[in-house]
Amino acid sequence: MNMKTTADRATGGFFLLFGVLLYFVIIPKYVEVADGAWLMPSTVPNAIAVVLSICGALLMLKPTAHRVQNTREMMFAGLYFTLLAAGLLLMSYVGFVYAAPVLALAVMLLIGERRPFWLLLGVVGLPAGIWWLVAYVLERALP
Amino acid sequence: MVDLATILAGFADAFTLWNLLFVLFGVVVGQFVGAVPGIGPVMAMAIAIPFTFGLDPLPAIAFLVGVNKGGLVGGAVPAVLMNTPGTPDAAATAMDGYPLARDGKPLKATKMALFSSVTGDTFSDLVLITVSAPLAVLALRMGPVEVFALMIFAFAVLSGLIGNSLIKGVIAAALGLLCAMIGSDPENYTPRLLFGYWELFDGLPLASVAIGMLAISEILRRLSQIQGEMKGAIEVRDTGDPNDRRVTWAEYWACRFTMLRGAVIGTILGALPGIGSTAAAFMSYATAKSTSKEPETFGKGNLHGIAAAESANSAVVGSNLIPLLTLGIPGSVGAALIISAFMIHGIQPGPLLFQDQGRLIYGLFGAMIMANILNLWVGQAGLRFWVKVVSAPESIIFASALLLCIVGVSMATGGIFGVAVMLIFAGLGYLMTSYGYSVVIFIISFFLGPRFEVSLSQSLALMNGDWTQIVNYPIALILFVLAAVTTAWFLSRRTPEDPGASVSIED
Repeated sequence: MNMKTTADRATGGFFLLFGVLLYFVIIPKYVEVADGAWLMPSTVPNAIAVVLSICGALLMLKPTAHRVQNTREMMFAGLYFTLLAAGLLLMSYVGFVYAAPVLALAVMLLIGERRPFWLLLGVVGLPAGIWWLVAYVLERALP
Repeated sequence: MVDLATILAGFADAFTLWNLLFVLFGVVVGQFVGAVPGIGPVMAMAIAIPFTFGLDPLPAIAFLVGVNKGGLVGGAVPAVLMNTPGTPDAAATAMDGYPLARDGKPLKATKMALFSSVTGDTFSDLVLITVSAPLAVLALRMGPVEVFALMIFAFAVLSGLIGNSLIKGVIAAALGLLCAMIGSDPENYTPRLLFGYWELFDGLPLASVAIGMLAISEILRRLSQIQGEMKGAIEVRDTGDPNDRRVTWAEYWACRFTMLRGAVIGTILGALPGIGSTAAAFMSYATAKSTSKEPETFGKGNLHGIAAAESANSAVVGSNLIPLLTLGIPGSVGAALIISAFMIHGIQPGPLLFQDQGRLIYGLFGAMIMANILNLWVGQAGLRFWVKVVSAPESIIFASALLLCIVGVSMATGGIFGVAVMLIFAGLGYLMTSYGYSVVIFIISFFLGPRFEVSLSQSLALMNGDWTQIVNYPIALILFVLAAVTTAWFLSRRTPEDPGASVSIED
């Protein structure tokens, strides 16, 4: 079994279990029961859970030759995702005006930008431009 | 259904200076982002939607249409100059555009792309304007049972056509529907899958889901591919000969049949949900090559190759709106974003649109015609500038795109909670793309989810819960049978041995 096939079988297995979990645990716990209607609140979610499980099982049996991105790329994506999450957390405490320059600087440095002009533009010019557009022109609140 | 006065009033609404400015702005933004490899019109539309909240529906949607149309023209620029398509559908353009640029004729290649693109787009728009209203009349005869059957058929077709596996397509559609179930259920208004977050009672915010899955996840993918290595500025060769910088009328006219054929292919494929502009461009290119007297010159800088690809991929944009405006079913992710703009502005797409919002729809058609004219004008004036845009540093482009997404979603959802939802869907979108699950199907089924459930509920009520009564609805029955046949046919297809790179947002 090669690498490509393993990835499809793994995701197939995940959806098989996810469907089962949805049907037996999540939907009964988080969907309220209501009577007197043609369609119960849980009918469509239950049908989706069944479809997910069946398709997951089928994918395990009949995987495609899809290639997954290499591990290094996925790790970089995870790094940027974590950075964004940290930036949002910071933004929720100190606001956009203070958090945006830090986030822009971190992203630009991680991309590999070292030229002072572009860094200055990204850290000062960019957040200032967005502030001007949103707060001044559109008169809306920034996060 | 729509009287002449409404049609004229709609066009009159469109042709105002205010709307002209918005279409112009949209076209400029679209061409700009199309020229930047890695952004593209879909991402630009996703980012722009929240910024249109404060606008009236017509300028808002006209702006987005401008972005979409401009993006297709701009996407040809990096394809020609760097052999790196700004949008996936420009990949066929690169096959003949890049050899021309290498020979010192980059402006000739980009101008041919521009002229063919506008020609194909205009043809497609005329078809849209002509056929959508009569089709909507037919669609109006459909009741909830037929609508439900149509959605099942659309899911079957989309799941099979987009991506490399029907099973993965169905999983993506099921996930989209599942996310649409979050909130209150439409019949009893009881909370469903809220997990204690009452902010979700009205459902997941459209803007968060669309921008997270289409824009942020794509940015994450691009950033992960850069891995700290900045690309150098590109050098554009120029022979200095004025003839190599322009497309003469004779050269344009010589490509008329190629462009017409491309426009017809793009229009037909665009009207079918699921077949994107990339498929249209390659099909048109292959047809042009096979019917050419000099097939050996294709791939070596033949203007017919550019004309075939660009006329077809641009023709998809107009006809993509046919299923959206007549049936309320988006055929592509661009159309799905336009549907979200409609819904955000309180307009429900579908056959009733022509009856209830006829003036707005003909205003939209007017804006589309304006966008074509402006695309030509902005393209002519701006091509030299877009050539420079190709070399803009990715660091500033992606940093600005990220901040604009955060601010846009915060404005749309009224706080940081929506931004957090966006980030979750960005992660989901990235993983789905990486493992070959189409985010396009996910988004389309997410948009259709509430309507799907309502039409199912109404169908059950009409049939007293007895599905054997489906025999009284022949159109619905035919659609169910077609869905089953389509599914069986897609399942019987051989799985591609090597589908290549991961699925992109345009598929």
